[in-house]
Amino acid sequence: MLEVSDLAVEIQSSEILRGVSFNVGAGELVCLVGRNGAGKTTTLRTIMGYVAPRAGAIRLTGTDLRGKSTLDRARLGIGYSPEDSEVLGELTVAENIELPTWTRRTEKSAHERIELAFQVFPNLRRYATRPGTHLSGGERKMLSIARTLALDAKLLLLDEPFEGLSPAIIPGIRHSVHEIVRLGRTVLIAESELQHVPDYADRIYVMERGEIVFGGSLEQAHCDPTVRRIIGTTV
Amino acid sequence: MLPGLNILISGVFNAAVLFLIAAGLQIVFGVQKIVNLACGSFYALGAYFGITALAWAVKLQLPVATFIPILIASGLLLAVVLGPTVERLLRFVYHRDEHFQLLLTFALVLIFEDVIRIFWGASPLQSNNVYFAFGELPLGRNFTVPNYNLIVIGIALAISLGFGWFLQATRFGKIVRATAENAAMCEALCIDLSKVYVAVFTLGVALGTVGGALVVPAAAASLDMGVELIVDAFAVVIIGGLGSMPGALVGALVVGLVRAAAIWLYPEFEMLAIYVIVIAVLILRPQGLLGKSA
Repeated sequence: MLEVSDLAVEIQSSEILRGVSFNVGAGELVCLVGRNGAGKTTTLRTIMGYVAPRAGAIRLTGTDLRGKSTLDRARLGIGYSPEDSEVLGELTVAENIELPTWTRRTEKSAHERIELAFQVFPNLRRYATRPGTHLSGGERKMLSIARTLALDAKLLLLDEPFEGLSPAIIPGIRHSVHEIVRLGRTVLIAESELQHVPDYADRIYVMERGEIVFGGSLEQAHCDPTVRRIIGTTV
Repeated sequence: MLPGLNILISGVFNAAVLFLIAAGLQIVFGVQKIVNLACGSFYALGAYFGITALAWAVKLQLPVATFIPILIASGLLLAVVLGPTVERLLRFVYHRDEHFQLLLTFALVLIFEDVIRIFWGASPLQSNNVYFAFGELPLGRNFTVPNYNLIVIGIALAISLGFGWFLQATRFGKIVRATAENAAMCEALCIDLSKVYVAVFTLGVALGTVGGALVVPAAAASLDMGVELIVDAFAVVIIGGLGSMPGALVGALVVGLVRAAAIWLYPEFEMLAIYVIVIAVLILRPQGLLGKSA
C-alpha cells in the first residue's frame, strides 16, 4: 500500500530524515517508534505532503506522490490525524465529522461514512452538538481519527494517538484503532512509547536521529538491545 | 432633538456603508491572512461603475424603483470580474511577509486610481437628483429623513444578517470558517483552498463594490474616495478587532456616529476624533473591542 524509500528531508539546512525506508502493506498496522525529535512526525508530515523531501520516493498503491499537494494526497485516500489533533473549534463535533463527506466523494454514501465514524467512536455521538473546543484531550484524539474515517481514507496516518491521555482512556482508543484495522483500513502510527504500541501491530520501525534503526515484530523489538537502549523501556 | 436625530441617521448611514467594506476586509484577512489595502479601490471602482449604470438607467428612463437593484447588480458584476483576477495576483504573496502583501495591494490602489482616471477622468462625478427621487420620510413638523438613507441602512442590515446566516448555517460558510481557523488541516480534509480563496476574495470585493455603488446617489464619486475610505475602514477594523465580524459592525457604528457628530458639532474635529478613538483602543485594548487577544 505505502512504500517509502530513501526519504531524506532537510528543514532550515538541518538534516531531519536520512534514508528512511519502510513499507506498509494493505490492511496492516505499522508503528514508527522513537523518542521525541527522532523524525516520526516529519515522516508522517512528508507522506501527507506538508514537507517536501530532498530525496527519496513515496508511493501509494504504486502511485508516485512526488509533486502532489496535501489536497491531492487526501483525494487519493490518505487521512491524517496530527499529534495535537487539530480539531476545528469553530465547528461542532458532528460538523467536524461531516466536513470530509462534503469535500470528498467516494463509493460510500456520506451517511455510511458518518455512521462508521460514530460506530467506531460511539462516545462522540453524545457530544455531537458540542463545539470542537469543548472537548477533552482524549475526545479530541477520537474526533481527529473519526474524521479520517469520514474522509473514507484507505491509509490512516495517526501521529501519537495515545500521547498525553489518561491510562483510563488509552484502552478505548486502542480498541477503536483495532476496529479500524479489522475494517480493512491500513494504519501507520507514530508513537514515542513502546508500551503504547498495540500488541496487534504487524510491524514496528524504530527511528533515531532521522534514521530507521530497527524493523521487525513487536516481540523482536522487545528483545532487541538497540531498541531497548533507544526507547528505554523495560520489557 | 433634531441635531441628535440628524447625527443618528447620517451616522448610521455612514456606518452601514463602512460596515460593508470593513466586513469584506475582515473576511479576506480572516481566511486568506491578507491585509488588503485595495479594499478602498474596490469601493471607488464600485462607485464609478454605479454612476455609469445609473446614467444608463436614467437615459433609458427606467423607473426609480429599479435604481437600487441596478446599483447592486453593477457592484456584483464588477466583483465577479475583479475578484478572481486580483486573487490570482495575490497568490504570489500568500504565506509571505506582510510587507509584500501591503506593497502589492498598495500597488493595486495606484493602478486602479489610474484606471479610474483613464475611463472616467479626474473630475468628481455626481448622479443628478437620484438621491432626492427616492423622496423623504417626514418624522416631525420640521424634520424629514431621506428615504435613500433608510434604504441603504436596510440593505446593509439585510446583508449583515445574510452574511451571518451564510457563515453559520451553510456548508460553504462552515468550510470558510474552518479554513479561517486552520487552512493546513482543512487541506488534509480535502478542502480545495484555492477555490475557497477565490470565493472568499470575490465576496470581499463584492462587499466593497456594492458599498461603493450604493453610496453614489448620496455622494460624489471622486479619485481620492478610495484612499479616504482605506483610513476609515482600517479605523473600523482596529476599533472592532481584526478578523471579528461583530467587531466590524461595532467599529463601523463608532466611526460612523462619531464622524456624523463631529461634522454636526465641530467639523474641524471630524478626523481627529476617529484617530483619538483608534489610539485609545490601541493603548487600552490592542485586540479591538470585540477582537480576540493574540
